Amino acid sequence: MSDLQLALTNTAGISSVMSFWVFVGSNAFKRWQPLMIKIATFVMAVGFIALSMAIVGRGIEANRFPLANLYEALLWFAWATTGAYLFLAKSYGVHQLGWLASMTAALFFIYGSWLPQSQHEISPLVPALVSYWRQIHVPPLICSYAMFFLAGLSGFCQLWASGRILSVWSCIAALALAATAIALGTFTDTNTFVLQGMFVFGSLAGVLGAAKSLKKIDEKKADQKRAELFDEVAYRAITIGFPLLTIGIITGGLWANHAWGTYWSWDPKESMALVTWLSYAAYIHLRVHRECKAESLSLVTICGLLLTLLTFLGFNSLGFGGLHSYGKFK
Amino acid sequence: MTLTKTEKPETQTTAPPSDWQAAYNSVIRFLGSVRLAVTLLSLTALTVLIGAWCPQESQVGQQKVIDQFGEQFAQVLINAGISDIFHSVWFLVLIGFLTVSLVAASFQRVFPKLILLRKPPIFLKKAAIEKLPISQSLILPVSKNQAMSLLAQKLKKKFYKVYLQESQLAGEQGKFGRLAPSVTHVGLLSLLCGVTITSWTGFSGFQPVRLGDSLSFADSEHSKLWIGKLPNWRVKVEKTEREDYPSGDPKQWYSDLVVIDSQGKPVKRQQISVNNPLTYDGVDIYQSSWGLDTVALTFNDHKQELELRPMGKLYAAFLPLGSGTILIFSARNQTAPLRVFGKTPNWQAPKLLAEISPNQAKDFGSVKIQFNKVVPVTGLQYKCDPALPLTYTAFGFIMLGVLLASVPYRQVWAQAQDLDVNGKAACQLVFGGTSYKAKQAFEKDLQKIAAEIEEALAQEAQSTKIDDQKNDPENEGNIALCPTSN
Ligand code: HEM
Repeated sequence: MSDLQLALTNTAGISSVMSFWVFVGSNAFKRWQPLMIKIATFVMAVGFIALSMAIVGRGIEANRFPLANLYEALLWFAWATTGAYLFLAKSYGVHQLGWLASMTAALFFIYGSWLPQSQHEISPLVPALVSYWRQIHVPPLICSYAMFFLAGLSGFCQLWASGRILSVWSCIAALALAATAIALGTFTDTNTFVLQGMFVFGSLAGVLGAAKSLKKIDEKKADQKRAELFDEVAYRAITIGFPLLTIGIITGGLWANHAWGTYWSWDPKESMALVTWLSYAAYIHLRVHRECKAESLSLVTICGLLLTLLTFLGFNSLGFGGLHSYGKFK
Repeated sequence: MTLTKTEKPETQTTAPPSDWQAAYNSVIRFLGSVRLAVTLLSLTALTVLIGAWCPQESQVGQQKVIDQFGEQFAQVLINAGISDIFHSVWFLVLIGFLTVSLVAASFQRVFPKLILLRKPPIFLKKAAIEKLPISQSLILPVSKNQAMSLLAQKLKKKFYKVYLQESQLAGEQGKFGRLAPSVTHVGLLSLLCGVTITSWTGFSGFQPVRLGDSLSFADSEHSKLWIGKLPNWRVKVEKTEREDYPSGDPKQWYSDLVVIDSQGKPVKRQQISVNNPLTYDGVDIYQSSWGLDTVALTFNDHKQELELRPMGKLYAAFLPLGSGTILIFSARNQTAPLRVFGKTPNWQAPKLLAEISPNQAKDFGSVKIQFNKVVPVTGLQYKCDPALPLTYTAFGFIMLGVLLASVPYRQVWAQAQDLDVNGKAACQLVFGGTSYKAKQAFEKDLQKIAAEIEEALAQEAQSTKIDDQKNDPENEGNIALCPTSN
């Protein structure tokens, strides 16, 4: 990796952390809020540009499409999350989402930087990945994951803005357990059954707990208008993410048919993408149905976020097999 | 009703048949309901999730399941059908229900809505517009006609299709987005048809074929409900070779194939390689792996073939000679010399004894070993999927449909009324709209339009003040008011 590339990637990482703190700070100093939000957004935009350049630079240096291992996938994910947030913020002005988005990007940078050096290095491709289909198939998937993350984060904000504080905490616990399971799975030798249990039962308990406590409303914190806004942002993110996921899955099928003569083989990662797809199809139908409360829909987006996390990172780190794994590096 | 006509007088027929009818209707309505759809989608998602978590026998074999979970737990999974969940009755029933529900919903609720696309929009009155979730009222220093045409202009710039009628306006944007459910569902139905046809008529398989042998389709895999027919032609491998990088890593595999019909006549020849299959009679044959199978040797006058096994970049055959002594033959490819190693219990590592070029012989004391050839084996994957064009079309529809679903459909309405402000032209313009998706962005849009109209008029007022004489009120009527359509 060249120095320039390293500098660009670090700039992106540092600006995500910085914008996170400025966003958080903007809530503490109400008087300065508009200015601080501007600064935070600007810093984020600088990070976004730096990351775009870093990714392009990586591609040029390696002389291949820069999306071939987990580290590069994480860079793309952070890129898509920041980009999508900047886009949504422009049309909706949803600044509470700002610190969540920059925190997500920052956490993914940290996760990426902890990966072993072999992942940072630009390595040549294994023969199975040498195909122009790769650049058609993978980027839509990663971008859809980012959109689903933002949708889930908006779900958190919606629950909070509608006064469902207890539910929010319950979901945070679920997400924290899931993230811990993934981190342990990536960096330690913890038993895979323990990790899988932690992820699955943690998610189940957290989301069910949140569903049960939807009735507990803290009226003082409720702000109907903002709740509606976040509900809409979540839906918007999903209406963008869902086509991307669809395109990613289908082009994967076309690639597989081209290379192996079968477009679907129930490979674990394939199946997992289908699970995510079906879940968001369910969300879209709940939405068209117009009978579901916004809070319940927010819970669905949070379930979706957990499933997306499982599809994107869980498979590798929680010991599911299959052709699509990024490889073991413990 | 027709069922009971003959049996009972008119007056008494009401109860039982309408019950039937009602029950029938409610079953159909239930099958097409979004609630059932969501339930089925969630159950399918859960099933597939379990299938993703548990290694599937059909992919990795039962042994892998036992290795991963231990004898006892694996047995539980196997008995419950979880380790082969995509072929379980449960999964089939689920897919069946999903299909029925999809068909019911599509014909009951999704496709009928297409008619709405052809209907021109209705016009709303002021009172109705004011009740819309998003509405605005502006007092403007121009006549109502001017105000309307200005609004129409602004809307058209934002790609609205605008309809004008006297002092009323209706506009819509993104109407094609309403095609989304129909297009997606047509795609899904076609996909289900495609997959069904494939499972009834398609087949696939893999066969390693030694140089000179033929591929036949006898061992191919197909579904239980298969009603297709296997080809009666076969494919002979006439030549097969590996191309290497300078480093010795494989770069490409090639096989020269000849299709031979049932009479034994060659009908097609082609060289295939990875990503470059042969297609004949609807069957695709892919190059999928490659290796060296055996080495043919002659010991004095005795011919023998030894099986080769891959050892890193090389292949090796082992010939035990008793008392721990082994002869090892190592081949790199079809043309390179064969290397012969010996290993006895006394030697730390095998020792290179000789290198023999093809069709040469070497003396090893009392035995003369002749190296005849190595026989390569080419891994051929084949499949026949008659429904592929339908499936690919379905993919296209699904992708298009979900893309369309992200287009918000927006409608606006406006009505203007002339006001009399000290004899000067003025009007009240009320406009509003609805958007199911992206509401707040839409609200912002409408606010922006309102601000732009006010600003434009303020500028105009400035300039008209300067040359007031030119302002001829007669000209107002010239602004076209016929219904415009983009
Ligand atoms: C059990 C099967 C299904 C049933 C019964 C069903 C039923 C429906 C119904 C009733 C609508 C509403 C149409 C309207 O009111 O305009 C709809 C819309 C839709 N469905 Fe399905 N559906 C099913 C499966 C799926 C699946 C698997 C997908 C996957 C993509 C899908 C994609 C859509 C889309 C994109 C819409 C349009 C949503 C929108 O307008 O925003 N459907 N479906």
